[in-house]
Amino acid sequence: MAVVRGHVGAEAPRADDLPLVDGSAMFIADLNRDGQLWARVVRSPVASAVIVGIEISAAVRHPGVAAVLTADDVPDVQIPIRLPFAATPECELALQPPLARDRVRYVGEPVAVVLAEDPFTAEDAAELVALELEERTPVLDLRAGSGADSVHDRLPDNVVNRVPMVCGEVDRLFATAEVVVSESVVVHRHTGMPLETRGLLAEWEEGEGRLTVWGAAKVKHFNRQALAQMLDLSPQSVRLIEVSVGGAFGVRGEFYPEDLLVPLAAMRLGRPVKWIEDRREHLVATNHAREQLHELEVAASEDGRLLAFRDRAWCDQGAYVRSQGLLPALLPALQIAGPYAWEGFSIEASAVLTNRTPVGTYRAPGVTEATLVRERALDRVAAELGLDHVELRRRNLIAADRMPWVFDLGPQGEPIVYESGDFPGSFEALLAQAGYDDLRAEQRGRAPGGEAVGIGVSAFCEVSAVGPFEQARIALEDGRFAVYVGVGSVGQGVATVLGQIAAETLGVGLERVAIHHQDTADTPEGFGTFASRSTVLAGNAILLAGQDLRRKAAAALGIAEDTLDVDLEYARLAPQRLTGEGTFEKEHPSFTFGANLVLVSVDRELGRVRVERHLVAHDAGRAVNPALLRGQLCGGAVQGIGAVLFEELRYDRTGQPEVSSLEDYLLATAGDVPAVEAVIIENPAPTNPLGIKGSGEAGMAGAPAAVANAVADALGAGAESLALPLTPARIRALVRARELNAQPEAS
Amino acid sequence: MDVLRTEFTLNDMPIEVTLPVRATLADAIRSTGATGTRVGCEEGICGSCTVLLDGRPARACLMLAAQARGREIRTVEGLAAGGRLHPVQESFRRHRALQCGYCTPGFMMLAVGLLEREPNASPERVRAVLASNLCRCTGYAPIVDAVLAAQQALAGEVI
Repeated sequence: MAVVRGHVGAEAPRADDLPLVDGSAMFIADLNRDGQLWARVVRSPVASAVIVGIEISAAVRHPGVAAVLTADDVPDVQIPIRLPFAATPECELALQPPLARDRVRYVGEPVAVVLAEDPFTAEDAAELVALELEERTPVLDLRAGSGADSVHDRLPDNVVNRVPMVCGEVDRLFATAEVVVSESVVVHRHTGMPLETRGLLAEWEEGEGRLTVWGAAKVKHFNRQALAQMLDLSPQSVRLIEVSVGGAFGVRGEFYPEDLLVPLAAMRLGRPVKWIEDRREHLVATNHAREQLHELEVAASEDGRLLAFRDRAWCDQGAYVRSQGLLPALLPALQIAGPYAWEGFSIEASAVLTNRTPVGTYRAPGVTEATLVRERALDRVAAELGLDHVELRRRNLIAADRMPWVFDLGPQGEPIVYESGDFPGSFEALLAQAGYDDLRAEQRGRAPGGEAVGIGVSAFCEVSAVGPFEQARIALEDGRFAVYVGVGSVGQGVATVLGQIAAETLGVGLERVAIHHQDTADTPEGFGTFASRSTVLAGNAILLAGQDLRRKAAAALGIAEDTLDVDLEYARLAPQRLTGEGTFEKEHPSFTFGANLVLVSVDRELGRVRVERHLVAHDAGRAVNPALLRGQLCGGAVQGIGAVLFEELRYDRTGQPEVSSLEDYLLATAGDVPAVEAVIIENPAPTNPLGIKGSGEAGMAGAPAAVANAVADALGAGAESLALPLTPARIRALVRARELNAQPEAS
Repeated sequence: MDVLRTEFTLNDMPIEVTLPVRATLADAIRSTGATGTRVGCEEGICGSCTVLLDGRPARACLMLAAQARGREIRTVEGLAAGGRLHPVQESFRRHRALQCGYCTPGFMMLAVGLLEREPNASPERVRAVLASNLCRCTGYAPIVDAVLAAQQALAGEVI
């Protein structure tokens, strides 16, 4: 009996590492087609202007230039919103055209495209395109409201939508509260910043009427549909292919202007067209994230019970509503309640347009911002009550025996449902691993030496495993079990994890399974890789497809299914062309619990923060591959540390970005961060057969909040608003302000 | 466009390329089909394009191809020998020091350059050198572990 079990839960080696370590892996920049042209995008140099004229003649005459396209050369289309629930009529008025028509609305907006024989020529000629622009006053203030200039004429107040949510009797709860704390938090603009910039290569085969585009990621089936529609082609004649992807983090793989412009140019010119974004472009062209202002009020009782909160938020959408629609405002609203047993809350989140690069989703979108805002406020509640930060959370985490927990949003809202988990138990596991009491003792012990040491915690509930469904198909091909799924690999190791699930279900060795996800030509329609959904949705679809294949195989061979060894019978089964099919449907997203604990020391003189320990606990439901899960949690946490300490996409008062290279946009390095400790909790999810909960974003979600709380704790600044990111200059200012306040009045 | 012919040694092979004068060393290496040298920022910050230039780690995006004339260049394609991965490559796999893998060749060349020149580098020195390059996925600890383990493996080979 050669049936193999135990793949799920094993620390299997990654399936796709060898080409990445020997250098042979093909990323988009490594692909070329015979006769290809190179595209270079001409971008707006100003934040807001009327386009008076675009002079392309010098560029067109430049030797080696094949064509220059402007808005008049492209179809009058706009980038659609991918998620129907994140679209509103107002959003539809602020969608982005592939090339600016009449108006430019942010620095970096595509205005023209130059096609040339080589990338150097394309870049030279792009500089010869002359724009005549009549500048307007840019809208940069999230609360400018009516009366200010407008980003889009048809939306005079610059607000695309307001997301109201009400649960319980909020005013009554505030009236009975003994403690009310107000906190205003500005979450700063930062983003995913994968090390590989975006890129595309498109080829049009006129004879076959077939368009092939390499360089897809994240949501290739949606992008195929959108592209086909814009180009008036059938989806079947458009093929999108993923090659190796150098990180995505939510920003890569959405439908951007270039996703139309590059294929369109290939069709117009009858030659393949390649485009590789450079880093400076990436910093203005690829989605930004996170920028929002929250005013949060929290009501609590004297004995430390959280009663209610009111959140008013202004969430920057940037200059256009892009493919994720209103998610920048919806997702914080959905996740700001977190893991606590509130009796009520009210939220009003406004999605606001500004003349900055459009905002999309970056790893753990919404939950990261919401957790930062709420957990800062909770530390202030704790300070007000004289309670330990940990103790306040202990008293308010939703108890395990109260699952499923429902926040009822009244007749007009879908309730928020936490289906499972043991929040207090998971939190205690984190504290135990950290040795919380010892850490507090260490903090006290180091204080007399003048060290500023702080401990910060955060807890969160993250929406994940979003539906509606994924499909899987398993065929016996090329001597292996070929598994086809519609999700994507962006470097997170999803093919390894899905291979483990397939091997376990089929009862075969890992090497007998091949996961195919790259090509829309042979993969089933899928919804893609976001919201920590790929392993949950595609994994369960594979489980169903594997079971289907085993059933069919047993019937075909006339033997009992429980004695079937599909590998041993491969030679008899393969000629029968059996395929296993599975569709896993999931109507509601799932919320998962996570928590962080951070120990920092702050150099008061230099303003430098050193994160000495960082622990992240996460309920994964079931860890399919604990080693890869740790990789996701620890990598995400380090992104979160960088986000709160270093990274910021600053703009000046004219709407010019002040960050134009990785010298300005600081990512954490090996010298800045500790070895993050992951605490994996496994309380199986009741809503999918494998019991998995989404895990790709949990490392990020609570990291900035815990670091910010730790820094505040170190400086004794629990009751002050922190300006983010916590750069040395800001820390120094905080230290100085506290020293001034501490001076005796007589002196 | 003005072009220039340049000769250098790439992974022990003599190479001759004719490229625009402004082509970088990264352009030149990649034009030979050895595309394992990845380009992440083109201004020397991220280190994804790190190669060994006469044995020392260098950013291939910061040098013109012309400046490489007569020099010895080693890239990720030159690490494996005799059908066996280099200990640093093995160690990166074993310690799960990569996720998307884009920064990996640059980090491995940085590590090889360090360990060949300073086989007894302290863990602090290793970490400080590895802070020269950027990784967006792993959080760095697995990379540091991989290089320290490779250091042990290489020491074992010498003995």
